[in-house]
Amino acid sequence: MSTLLNATEQKKPNLWRRARHSFAVARHEPANLMGLVLAIFFAYLILAPVLSILVDSFIVQSGDEVRTHQDEGSFTLYYIVRTLFSRISEILLWQPLYNTLAIAAGTVMFSMSIGVVLAWLVNRTNMAGRAWFATALIVPFMLPTWTFALAWTTIFKNRTVGGQPGWLESLGITTSNSVAYGYFPIVFILVLHYTPLVILIVGNALRRLDTQMEDSARVLGAPSRVITFSIVLPLIRPALMSAVLLIFADCIGEFAVPYILGLPVRYDTLATGLYRALDTRQNGVAAVIAGVIMIIGVMTLLIDVRMMKEARRFVTVGGKGNMDRLRKLGRMRIPASGFAGAFVLIGVVLPLLTLFLSTIMILPGRFTLENFTFDYWIGSNLDTVALRNGILLTPEFWQAAWNTIVIVGSSSIISGVLGLLVGYAVLRCSFKSVSSFLRQITFLPYLVPGIAFAAAFLSLFAVARGPIPALYGTPLILIIALVAEKMPFASRSGIAAMTQLGKEPEEAARIAGANWLSRMGKIIIPIQAGPLATGILLPFISGIKGVSLFIILAIPSTDVLTTYSLRLLDYNYDQAANAVVLMIALIAWLGTVLIQKISGTGLAQGLEN
Amino acid sequence: MPTITLTNLTKCYDGNTEPSVDQVSLTVEDGEFMCLLGPSGCGKTTILRMIAGIEHSTSGEIAVDDLVVDSVHQSCFIPPEKRRIGLVFQNYALWPHMTVERNVDFGLRLQKVPAQERKERCVDVMSKLRILEYADRYPSQLSGGQQQRVALARMLAVNPGVLLLDEPLSNLDATLRLEMRAELRRLHQTFGTTIIFVSHDQWEAMTLANTIAVMNKGQLQQIGTPDEIYAEPSNRFVAEFIGNPKINLIKLKESNDELMNLASHILARLPESKFADVCAIRPEEIILTDTANANTLPMNIENIMPTGGSWVIELSLDEDRLFHSTQSRPKWREGEQINAYLPTHSLHFFDHDEKRLVLSETHLDYSHLLLSSALPNPKKANPKNTNQPFVKQA
Repeated sequence: MSTLLNATEQKKPNLWRRARHSFAVARHEPANLMGLVLAIFFAYLILAPVLSILVDSFIVQSGDEVRTHQDEGSFTLYYIVRTLFSRISEILLWQPLYNTLAIAAGTVMFSMSIGVVLAWLVNRTNMAGRAWFATALIVPFMLPTWTFALAWTTIFKNRTVGGQPGWLESLGITTSNSVAYGYFPIVFILVLHYTPLVILIVGNALRRLDTQMEDSARVLGAPSRVITFSIVLPLIRPALMSAVLLIFADCIGEFAVPYILGLPVRYDTLATGLYRALDTRQNGVAAVIAGVIMIIGVMTLLIDVRMMKEARRFVTVGGKGNMDRLRKLGRMRIPASGFAGAFVLIGVVLPLLTLFLSTIMILPGRFTLENFTFDYWIGSNLDTVALRNGILLTPEFWQAAWNTIVIVGSSSIISGVLGLLVGYAVLRCSFKSVSSFLRQITFLPYLVPGIAFAAAFLSLFAVARGPIPALYGTPLILIIALVAEKMPFASRSGIAAMTQLGKEPEEAARIAGANWLSRMGKIIIPIQAGPLATGILLPFISGIKGVSLFIILAIPSTDVLTTYSLRLLDYNYDQAANAVVLMIALIAWLGTVLIQKISGTGLAQGLEN
Repeated sequence: MPTITLTNLTKCYDGNTEPSVDQVSLTVEDGEFMCLLGPSGCGKTTILRMIAGIEHSTSGEIAVDDLVVDSVHQSCFIPPEKRRIGLVFQNYALWPHMTVERNVDFGLRLQKVPAQERKERCVDVMSKLRILEYADRYPSQLSGGQQQRVALARMLAVNPGVLLLDEPLSNLDATLRLEMRAELRRLHQTFGTTIIFVSHDQWEAMTLANTIAVMNKGQLQQIGTPDEIYAEPSNRFVAEFIGNPKINLIKLKESNDELMNLASHILARLPESKFADVCAIRPEEIILTDTANANTLPMNIENIMPTGGSWVIELSLDEDRLFHSTQSRPKWREGEQINAYLPTHSLHFFDHDEKRLVLSETHLDYSHLLLSSALPNPKKANPKNTNQPFVKQA
C-alpha cells in the first residue's frame, strides 16, 4: 500500500550540488562531449577560414609592402580603397558586381516564368506525356552547368578566340560576340539549369495544395482567373520565394559558366573576378571581393529567413483533396507538350548530343562520314603534340578519375557521417548553447559561395600555422574544404533524420541496458542507414560537378576530372575535354539514379526484408 | 522485488519557471500495480521517465530499495542502462530494423546470456504474450496491439524488477483495449512484477490499478485504491476528474433556500472555522421521484440522453445544471417537473480552497431522519448557526 510521505520541507539544493549533479548526469551522455568536440572542430574548419579572409582584407599581404609603404601584416585600408574607390575599382568590383546581379536577376526572372508554367502543366493538367515529362524536365538540373557552356561554345564559338572553330563558324555562319559569349549565353544556360529546380519546388507546393480550397472558391462562383490569382498563387508564394532566393544565391556564386563564356570578351562576374585576383596574386583584393560575395549571401539568407517567418503564418494543412483532378487543356494539349518537349530538346538532347558529336569529329562542324572517328575516346598514336591516345587510354584521365573518387568520395563519406553526428549532438546535447552554435556554424558555408570559401581556405591553410602544416598542394586541403562546403546539407539532413527518428528507439535501448557504443552501432546507425547513404551520395554528386573549390585549391598533382577537363580546354583539346565532361555527367546521372533507388522504394523494402 | 521511493521529487525543465513535477513523495511497494493518473501535462510521464533514468531530477530523491539512483543532494545519478527498470513507451519505440525476435532478445544479448538460454527465454516470453508466430516479422508488419505486446515482451525478457508503462492502452481500439487490459492483469499476476503506469484515462486507471495516484499541475493530489479515490476524493479536482458523467457541483449560496435547508444539518457537523463553498453529488446518487416532500428539491428535466443501456438526464435547479445517470429507462419526458432527492450521505462538501471537508462523524446517515421528517430543527439544535455561518459570506 502506498503512503503519502510527510512532505518535509527540504532545503533547495545549492548551486554547487546542482552543478555536481548535472555533471553526474552529463557523464552518462556522450552527446555532450561529442557536441563540444564537433563545435571546436567546425569553429576551426569553417569559422576560422571565413574570419581569416575577412581579416586578410585589412592587413598588408606579402609582396605588397612597397605599394602600401607598410610592413607585411600591418593594418591597412589599401585593399578596401583600391577595390571600392580607386580608378580601377570599376574593373575590379563594380562592373563585375553589376554583371553578377544582372545575371542573377535575368536567370531568376526567366527560369521562374518558364518553370512555373511547366510545373503547372506537369502537375495540374492533362498535358500529353505528362508522366514522362515529370522526369525528363528535371534532367538538366542533374548535369553540371558547364556541360551546357561547353556545348554552347562547341556550336557558337567564333574567331574572337583561337583554337578550333565553332560549328556555325565552320559552316560559314559568323556568330556575333554577343551571341557567342557574355551575358546572353550565360543567362540562357543558367535558365536551362535552374528551371528544373523551379519545377521541383513549385510542383511540390502545387501537389500539396489542398484542392478543397480551390473547390470552395469555385462553389462560391469564382472564375478560374480569380482562383488562380487570389487562391493558388498566394498559397504557393512561399515556395515561389524560396525558389527565387535559392536560384539567386546559386547564381551569385556561379563560376564555371562565366569562366568559359565570359572570359573571351572580358565579361567578369564577382566569382571570376575573385579568381582573376587570386591568379594575379592580389590576395588582399581577392579578400575584399570574397567579403562582398559573402555580404550578398548573408543578405539573401536574411531575406529568406524573414520570408519563411511570414510564410509560416499561412501554413496550409494538407487535406485529402483529390489531387488527380486535372485541368483539361483541350486543343492546347499538344502545343503544351510541344513547349515542354522544346525545353527537353534544348536543355538535354541538344547539349548532350552536341558534346558527344564533338568528341567523335576531327574537324568541328563538318558532317561528312570520314570526319567521324572514335580516336578521341579509344585511339592511340594520334598525331597531336601531347595526348597522343584517346581519353579512355590516357593514364592522366584515369589518374584524375581516381583522384576524383578518392577526394570527393572520402570527403562525402566524412561529411555524411559528420552530418549524422552533428544531428545526434544537436538533438541530444544537454547544453543549449553548444547545440545551437553547432547548428549555426555548420550552416555558415551556405552563405559563402564556393569560390569565396575556397579563397578563404587558401588564406588560412596555404601557410603553416601553429601545429598545422601548410596544406596547399595536398589532397587533404581539398578534402577538408569539400567537407566544410558540404556541411550545410549534411548537417541539415542529419538533424532532420535524427528529429524524425526521435529519442525513443535509443531510450528503449538504454532501458534494455545498452551502452553508448552499442546504441550507436546497433540502433542509430542501422536505422539511419538510408539517410546516411543519401547524405553521402548527394555531396558526392555535387562534389563531382563542382568547379570552384578545385580550380583554386587543386594543383596538377591533385587533378580531378573537372580541373582536368578545364585544362584540356585551355590547351584546345576540345574533343578530349568534352569527352571528360560527358563522363562526369554520366557519373552524376548514375549517382542521382542511385539516390532515388535508395531513398525511394528501395529503402522501405530493405527494411522489410 | 524492489520498492520504489520518491522523496520530494521535483523537475523543472529548462526555461520553465513552473516545475513540471512539484515535491512529489510516494512509495511504490513490491508487487504493487500503481497508476499515475492525471490530465495531460500534469507531470506524470515526467515522473515515469525520471524513475527510468531518461530524465534527471531538479531536486529530491529517487531510491530503488535502499539504493539512491538519482539525488541532487548526494550528487548521484545512475544511468538508465544500469537501473534494471523496464519501460514500455507510449508509441512502443520498437526498432524498425530488427525482427520481433531480435527486438525481444536485444537486452539478453547485451547481458551476454548464452544462446541456448536466450532462445528459451525469448520463446517463453513471446509465447506468454502470444506473439511467437510473428517472431520473424518486422515491427512495421504488425498491428498496434501486436506491436505493443512486442514492446512488453522486449522488456519482460530481461525480467526487470519494475515495469513502467506509458499510457499502455491509449493507442488501442476498443476491443483491443479490453483484451490488453486482461493481458496486463494476467501478467501482473504471473510475473509478480511491480508495475507503475501512466494514464490520463480514468477507465484505464480504475480497471487496471490497485492503487491510483492522482496528479494535477505537477502535484500529487491523492493516493488510494480506486474505490477510495471515487468515494472519498480529497479535493474538488479529484472529485471532478474521476467519474463519468462528471460529479455535480452546486455552489452554495444563501439564495438557494431549499438546498441550504436540506444541507444545513449536515453542514452543522463541520469542524469549527471551516466553511463549505461547494456541494457535490455523483450523478448516480441522485434519486428522482414524482412525490415531493420536505427532503426533495424540485427540478426540471431539460434533456434525456440515451447512452446505450443507460441514460443521462440533465436537470436544472435554478441556474445550476445537474446530471443524473440511471440504468433504468426514465419514465419522464423532457420539460417535466420532477423531485430530486439527494441522500445526505452522498453529499460532498468542498471549502474555498477546494479541499474536501471531513465531517465530524463521517458516514453517519441522517437520511432516515430526513425522510421521516423527525429531524430536529437544525436551527434549534444548533443555535449558533442561525445565520448559517457554515456558508462563507460572500
